Amino acid sequence: MHLTTWDERVLAGEEGHGRQKAMELLVALGDIYGAKRLIPIASAQISGASFKTIGDAGTKFLEDFSEHAKVTVRASLNPLGMDKKRWKTMGVSEEFHSKQNRIVRAYEVLGVEPMYTCTPYLAGNRPRRGQHIAWAESSATVFANSYLGAMTNREGGPSALAAAIIGKTAEYGLHLAENRVPRVRIDIQEIPLGLEPLAGFMVGKIAGKRIPYLPGLRLNPDQHKAFGAAMAATGAVSMYEFSVPGVRKRVDTSSIEELVILPTTDLLMQSEELRGDDDWDLVAIGCPHCSMNEIKRMAKYLKGRRPAKNSDVWFCTSRSVFKSCPNEVAVLQKFGKVLCDTCMVVAPIEKMYKRTASDSGKAMVYLPTLGKQRASFRTTRDLLEVISR
Amino acid sequence: MILAGRRIRGGTASGKAVVCRDPISFLGGIDPLTGKIMDEECDSKGVSISRKVFCFPFGKGSTVGSYAMYQLKLNRKAPAAIINSSAEPIVATGAIIADVPMIDGIDVGLLRTGDRVFVDADRGTVDVRNLVERHVVTCIVRNAGRILLLQRSDKVGSFTGLWAGVSGFIECGETDESAARRELREEIGRDKVRLVNRVETQCFRDGPNVWCVHPFLFDVKDRRVQTDWEHQSVEWVLPKEVSRFDTVPGLPQIILKLL
Repeated sequence: MHLTTWDERVLAGEEGHGRQKAMELLVALGDIYGAKRLIPIASAQISGASFKTIGDAGTKFLEDFSEHAKVTVRASLNPLGMDKKRWKTMGVSEEFHSKQNRIVRAYEVLGVEPMYTCTPYLAGNRPRRGQHIAWAESSATVFANSYLGAMTNREGGPSALAAAIIGKTAEYGLHLAENRVPRVRIDIQEIPLGLEPLAGFMVGKIAGKRIPYLPGLRLNPDQHKAFGAAMAATGAVSMYEFSVPGVRKRVDTSSIEELVILPTTDLLMQSEELRGDDDWDLVAIGCPHCSMNEIKRMAKYLKGRRPAKNSDVWFCTSRSVFKSCPNEVAVLQKFGKVLCDTCMVVAPIEKMYKRTASDSGKAMVYLPTLGKQRASFRTTRDLLEVISR
Repeated sequence: MILAGRRIRGGTASGKAVVCRDPISFLGGIDPLTGKIMDEECDSKGVSISRKVFCFPFGKGSTVGSYAMYQLKLNRKAPAAIINSSAEPIVATGAIIADVPMIDGIDVGLLRTGDRVFVDADRGTVDVRNLVERHVVTCIVRNAGRILLLQRSDKVGSFTGLWAGVSGFIECGETDESAARRELREEIGRDKVRLVNRVETQCFRDGPNVWCVHPFLFDVKDRRVQTDWEHQSVEWVLPKEVSRFDTVPGLPQIILKLL
């Protein structure tokens, strides 16, 4: 890999121990992936913020590392294992809280913005088309690559942190135009309302490592968010290409090697398969974190209805969205907890619940594994109906 | 014997090798308190990697595995060095944050648990002190779709009774192709042969030896063969019949690559 004089200085340790380690990491990963150089990034988004996912070892690493390094570009974090303010009402233990707070402090010392969300693009950090970024959260990278047109690989936690410290990342994978070309075309017949996450769930499985091209995909931004999150959870690719009916768009289809038809009946069958049981302890909405529009739409439906009180309810969102629609949040709070900084995937949910229903395709992958839950998929509308009368 | 690979994280280390044939996950695969391998599928299960040179093909599993390696370092149970066939980001990240010298691009199949290894990760080399590298040629001789197999006599120094191609040591000052032509002359009495193909050197571990085989494919116009003391019998066989013979290590793969 070609390094600039400054890169070399950092690698030699002349800019301090923390930067040296960060540079070692970027160079090693760049070599593994055959990158030719490092390129500047506009922002970083770092995964590995919940104590549940990184544990004592991760905490200790961040604490040790924070003594030697500071981020140099805008950087934010993935959700924590708890709402920073209402962790107690959430049911998080004192012990978890104090361990989680050590991680929060370490990232603060590193200079990372105290923004804990999988949707930084809805919380004030929206990258522009063509901008290089180093984001780690899988649902955020797929949204940034596919909907916003920014360029990022799915970074690991430490590599995103290293990129934030150096302000650069290795140029490989989705940072190069030639690797952003679709290789499989998937024609989705029609997506029944609320099943967008399951369309993503199935597309991820079909696509595997290949970027899929989805012609005629008419989704609003929130639906893209849910679709992409599920696709990135079942597949190994952080980007899809799509076109909208009636809008001309030049898509390079020269590398497409397979055409797959995804019939509506398959989506319905998948929905049936993930339906699970009809009873649960928790309804969890907001994976990825709810947008302001989603909060408003849910509040509009629930206003004038009464809580059914048949299970706990979590609406997960970013603190920025939470703050920007207080009236709607107040409506939702009658039906459950509106939680910030956290979500059902990274919170220690297994310590509180056994059975969870969600409208998220991504959560259908992680609730049964990471969360040890018996999971049930329902559309958002289904869940709102169940939790209200 | 010195094996050349690629530096992933610099530094030098020496120690005994611990080798796993299968991919390793540091999270769940290694006990952070003792450094012992817990992975059920690993042939070195129960062996500690602490202060050893840990050799495995590549990493697998959760990205938290990088932090698991940091935990080993905190517990003073980290390996002295890591050798991979091909590095992937989780193990590479772990090696860097835990300050463990690491090299990839090494054929881990050549290494055995207990080998005495010196790793110079800055240069990207691994010196296996107890291994001797032996360069030999193997010539597959072909005529009208059939290839020549020779059964090694009990007078030769190695692999007696096994079936092989025309083979022998590359001697000092000799190129591998001239060694191949010399062996054809000496072992089967053939001078007029046509070189059709040659492929990259294939290495095989055999006790304290690594056989580095330089494979060649030659065509001959007829099936006349004049053997010497090194072989007890010969057969002209179809390539698909090779699997029926008890051959020297790696011969079927070499034939597959040459044809």
